[in-house]
Amino acid sequence: MVAEKSKGLTRVREIYRDRPGRIIELKEEGKKIIGYLCIYPVLELMTALDLVPYRIFGDMREPITKADSFLPTVVCPFLRSCLDLGLKGKYDFLDGIVTTHICDVGSNLAGIWNYSVKTPFSHNIDVPHTAHETAQEQERELIKAFQKVLEEFTGEKITGEKLTRAIEVHNQQRALVRELYDLKKLDPPLISGTETIQVIRALMSLPVEEGNQLMREVISEVKERKDGPTRKSARLLLWGSIIDDSALTEMIESLDANIVMDDTCVGSRAYFDDVKVTNDPVEGLAHRYLVDIKCPRTFRARDYNDVRKDYMADLESRFSYLVDYAKDWKADGVILESVRYCDTHGYEVPGIRDYLNSLGIPSVYLEHDYTEGALAPLRTRVQGFLEVIG
Amino acid sequence: MYFAGIDLGSTMTKIVIVDEDQKTCSSVIKHTGAEHRRLANKVMEEAMEQAGLSFDEISYVIATGYGRINVPFADRQITELTCHARGVYSLFPGVRIAIDIGGQDAKGLRINGGKLVDFVMSDKCAAGTGRFLEVIADALGLKLEDFGNISLKSTNRVSISSTCTVFAQQEVISRLSEGIPLEDIIAGLHDAIASRVARMVRRLRIEPDVVFTGGVAKNIGVVKALQDNLGCEVLVPDEPLLSGAIGAALLARELTLDALAKGEPIQRGERRLEEATFFK
Repeated sequence: MVAEKSKGLTRVREIYRDRPGRIIELKEEGKKIIGYLCIYPVLELMTALDLVPYRIFGDMREPITKADSFLPTVVCPFLRSCLDLGLKGKYDFLDGIVTTHICDVGSNLAGIWNYSVKTPFSHNIDVPHTAHETAQEQERELIKAFQKVLEEFTGEKITGEKLTRAIEVHNQQRALVRELYDLKKLDPPLISGTETIQVIRALMSLPVEEGNQLMREVISEVKERKDGPTRKSARLLLWGSIIDDSALTEMIESLDANIVMDDTCVGSRAYFDDVKVTNDPVEGLAHRYLVDIKCPRTFRARDYNDVRKDYMADLESRFSYLVDYAKDWKADGVILESVRYCDTHGYEVPGIRDYLNSLGIPSVYLEHDYTEGALAPLRTRVQGFLEVIG
Repeated sequence: MYFAGIDLGSTMTKIVIVDEDQKTCSSVIKHTGAEHRRLANKVMEEAMEQAGLSFDEISYVIATGYGRINVPFADRQITELTCHARGVYSLFPGVRIAIDIGGQDAKGLRINGGKLVDFVMSDKCAAGTGRFLEVIADALGLKLEDFGNISLKSTNRVSISSTCTVFAQQEVISRLSEGIPLEDIIAGLHDAIASRVARMVRRLRIEPDVVFTGGVAKNIGVVKALQDNLGCEVLVPDEPLLSGAIGAALLARELTLDALAKGEPIQRGERRLEEATFFK
């Protein structure tokens, strides 16, 4: 198997082309593979039980044909694509699937997947959509329930030691991702936005320790390389819903711009927050997975009891991290993207734009269909945006 | 010195050549179509002939529009957003908002001192574009050019509720079968386009002068409907198809003269006056 020989970015590209290759090998060795949707399932619990978490992605290059019998066409095409691949047997190697209440479509998808794809083990975590104290308490209970279900499934107990160790290796991975992103602060960045997505996709396709090894290889390779991105006129921050294929970033980077930072869930959003070490590890996990991850699926208000909201203060508390990203990575502008019908991200856009406008940070909003073929009009928007900020 | 702008739109190809003093030396408008797009060089030759110029005498060529990436004789490509903004500004220096409705999409531009500062674009959907009217004209067996004048006779405009071209076509047919006069239906169609585009452009905050360009601006019915929907006067150039090509030619001139003034090299393309080969 080629995967054994190649390293670093070469390995990343191989995994990008043949994603389940390594995971099927592991399955043949007797490992249990658990598919998960979105970044809210607690990976540490699976790792602690020697299960291999494997993120479920769609495929924007594959026409959706089977899922339309189960989900209407006016919902998230990413989730429709995931289900479509499940129905076509592309995820038959999974021993289980873990879903969360991502959004309404996401949680309904969990049920539909169960009776239509019939993966042997399944569990849904009903993650709350706000992060106030009672929601955090609920999240802690949900994590405990998830732990119990996993223990029943494997017939093994998660000891404190195993869980602490799992938290450590996942935090290591997060630190390695942040280290890689630091190399994007340079001008030109040492790694492109397209390569970054491919690296993160590889991490989400491998057991955590193997991913950490791959990250170390990638980081040392990227530091030394001479064939990295060239300097371009604009440095961009990319915010938005899931991008699990590099077609969109390739289009953007084929223009006079480098994507130097992102806030998407196949990117920094999935890795920038560590699990803090707490006496009861569940507390640290709950805080990280509910409060710290900055996906719009969780409403993070400045003050949940504030009935007469101060709009700008609320925006400041929710989105100032984006401005920090823009400053630290020296971004000239922000691309806000959302897959069509993603209300979760779409509703966030006017607020983010108001906030960015108030600080004089230019932004453009792109809505896309999760298909590779419809990028030409988006190209005009991005190029027009670059001309505006140029 | 001479400068050319080519605007390869989804429906029409437009070329404008200007001289150093910004005077227009030639302007040509042709249907794009599959063959014409491949033969953009022929349209260019026609424009050069009109101006009495050889290709070597043209200092810089900028391509814009949907087909901009496939013009082998262009030095550089700039989006139609920036080119329209520049072109409209040259025609109406007081412009703050430009609305362009072409064959494939509708755009709203916010312009400040000739510079594009913000924009909105319609999505990949024929509703709210010239294609919408083309499809309906075809279904009715009428000439698109006649739509504007027919609609002016309307006394009781119908409301077309479908924003989708396909469904609007059905709606038009059923209205006809109800015996509603043609002019009231066509006036309804114009209002449907105008209200859709107005809703989109309002995101930029409407501020006069508002200029309307693109093929659809030739339709007096849509111009009036747009004025009604925006609640302000809408200015239309004598030739609303040319603003993108004019802008491209003027930008070609500015880039070249700027570079010369600064003593910087001019970044050139391959400048092959031949067929684009992307159909292979």
